[in-house]
Amino acid sequence: MKHSVNRPPTPDGAEDQGNEPTLQEIINIKLIESGEKERLMELLRERLIECGWKDEMKALCRSYVKKKGRNNVTLDDLVHLITPKGRASVPDFVKAELLQRIRSFLMSAAL
Amino acid sequence: MSSKINGHVSPQPCPHLLVFRSRNGPKPFRALQDCIRVKPPGGRAAIRREPTEVPRCGTCEESSRSRLYACVACAAVFCHAPLLHSHASDHSLSIPGHEIAVDVDRAELFCCACGDQVYDRDFDAAVVLAQTVNATATTSTSGSTAMQCSVAGSQPENLRKRRRVDYRPWEPDSGEHISRGNQSIPLLDATNASLVSSTQQPWGFRGLNNLGNTCFMNSILQALLHTPPLRNYFLGDRHNRYYCQQKNGAINGTKNSRLCLACDMDALFSAVFSGDRTPYSPAKFLYSWWQHAANLASYEQQDAHEFFISMLEGIHEKVEKDKRKSQSPAGSGDCCIAHRVFSGILRSDVMCMVCGFTSTTYDPCVDISLDLEPNQGGSGKSSSAKSLNSFNFEADCMRPNQNCGISTLKGCLERFTRAEKLGSDQKLFCQKCQVRQESLKQMSIRKLPLVSCFHVKRFEHSSIRKMSRKVDRYLQFPFSLDMAPYLSSSILRSRFGNRIFPFDGDEQDASNDLSTEFELFAVVTHSGRLDAGHYVTYLRLSNQWYKCDDAWITQVNESIVRAAQGYMMFYVQKVLYYKESENQGTS
Repeated sequence: MKHSVNRPPTPDGAEDQGNEPTLQEIINIKLIESGEKERLMELLRERLIECGWKDEMKALCRSYVKKKGRNNVTLDDLVHLITPKGRASVPDFVKAELLQRIRSFLMSAAL
Repeated sequence: MSSKINGHVSPQPCPHLLVFRSRNGPKPFRALQDCIRVKPPGGRAAIRREPTEVPRCGTCEESSRSRLYACVACAAVFCHAPLLHSHASDHSLSIPGHEIAVDVDRAELFCCACGDQVYDRDFDAAVVLAQTVNATATTSTSGSTAMQCSVAGSQPENLRKRRRVDYRPWEPDSGEHISRGNQSIPLLDATNASLVSSTQQPWGFRGLNNLGNTCFMNSILQALLHTPPLRNYFLGDRHNRYYCQQKNGAINGTKNSRLCLACDMDALFSAVFSGDRTPYSPAKFLYSWWQHAANLASYEQQDAHEFFISMLEGIHEKVEKDKRKSQSPAGSGDCCIAHRVFSGILRSDVMCMVCGFTSTTYDPCVDISLDLEPNQGGSGKSSSAKSLNSFNFEADCMRPNQNCGISTLKGCLERFTRAEKLGSDQKLFCQKCQVRQESLKQMSIRKLPLVSCFHVKRFEHSSIRKMSRKVDRYLQFPFSLDMAPYLSSSILRSRFGNRIFPFDGDEQDASNDLSTEFELFAVVTHSGRLDAGHYVTYLRLSNQWYKCDDAWITQVNESIVRAAQGYMMFYVQKVLYYKESENQGTS
């Protein structure tokens, strides 16, 4: 078992290896490598807490669990429950700020 | 399905996890633990085989969407988005024994077969350890109240001092037997039964005359007169004013013999609980308090909260004069009745945003001052509320306190215990970095007092305009309050994500499994302006509410109380516990 942890990821034979990475993937890797993604995630977490978004999601989850019963709810249920509402209720100013940060990162990384 | 330890639910493993553990030896997650990477600041734990690894789904190469899981059995990474496709589920179905996976970005275990999070004590302990090793120092800080401690480290000593004993009803000893027979009169007999007929107010209700803008004092005194542990203490003759004055008169001479606020309290309790219904003038009390708080001695309007603090200090000072000073640890409440009833301990964690080092301090407190939420009309809150409304979600989710912007006491407590980023102008000194750095501060309650007093900061000071104004915004407060989410144990737990906290089940601290439920019994309200206003106290006895407006006490409906503008709210612990007495000879 110890060895399997160090084993490289299993290449899936069905997928062709020759696919060019998409722009999204390139950006993602650049963000991760530079550590910018980590900083953006922290910023996002901070903003979502400040504006009460996290509390609202928590409340949705709580009332759902209350309704269904604690032992009848799975993590997948909760993710399924709050994902659409969560995405839609992110305040515009938060989106704007993050987009601005990503934009300036891309410009500085000269992609 | 789950067991309760220390008030927290400890989840039982699912069948797949049990099978996995039984098949993989005593330390099934040992290899995984080597892949725990902790990134300051915030100390979030992730699973990476190499620090620079970019995890990617083995089936579809997806790496930018969230919820990537690494199979614990074979280390292959897969994506999991149950509605679209779950290559993690596919993997678990294709190979038996590969149901358990770990969220690579959160270091949380997941069972792909059950579709739910699972918990393993050893794994969670390893994650917490990795996160705390990152955040602790080896040196101790200066300051008498500061206590350097990692999460795994020590707890305040004073909480382990006396062991808990079962409640035993009181039995008079021989001395009490005699005095009981000689000096006492029955509370209810033919002559005074009319005073306490059931239609009248309960015992201890007596109006307090306003002696000249003294409603700030009357309102607090009414609340204290009906604070159960305080009331029991004084009515139980635990501070006998005759004995005290005799003692003090002998030692200090006649001048100091009058300065004992506890004696004045004792006199007040005797007067108010005498059965006499005519309004009482607490002139002696006012005079004594003036002597204690000379700077506040005037007929001007004062702040009730300031009076409350000053009064508690007064009782503490006078009582402690007899005992050796600073013998009892701060916050233990062993010094005087005021602290025994009201003193709790707050924990403050300050985390350096650069290196992740956390410094923890404990401070005693007799109340909690809460900020009202900032302007409700903020763009963030209103736009999110609007979008939620448009979804026509179930009615029980649209609680007014959450979505329509009404401030609640619970909301204030949540904000009080929220991790707050201190501004760049408030940099604090970091032990590790040895410079001032931007910090994250979080408050929590280490030890709950018997009686929790919440003070709402209704006075806004504008430094620009150099004036203060009163905030009249309504604050909703519950009649029953569970303080569990604001305890240090809960706050710490939430800092580490969804895991079994490794110190559950430790019996180190008996106060852990004390009840955290509180009941509201007094509300001090303020109406009017900053410089000209009036205080009124609402008291709750046997689920009946009474309005105490200086000399007038009337029964009121609870809806009146709910709608009132709360300034100070008093909650008492629902369940009381007893500890062995320190003084073996006395009652």
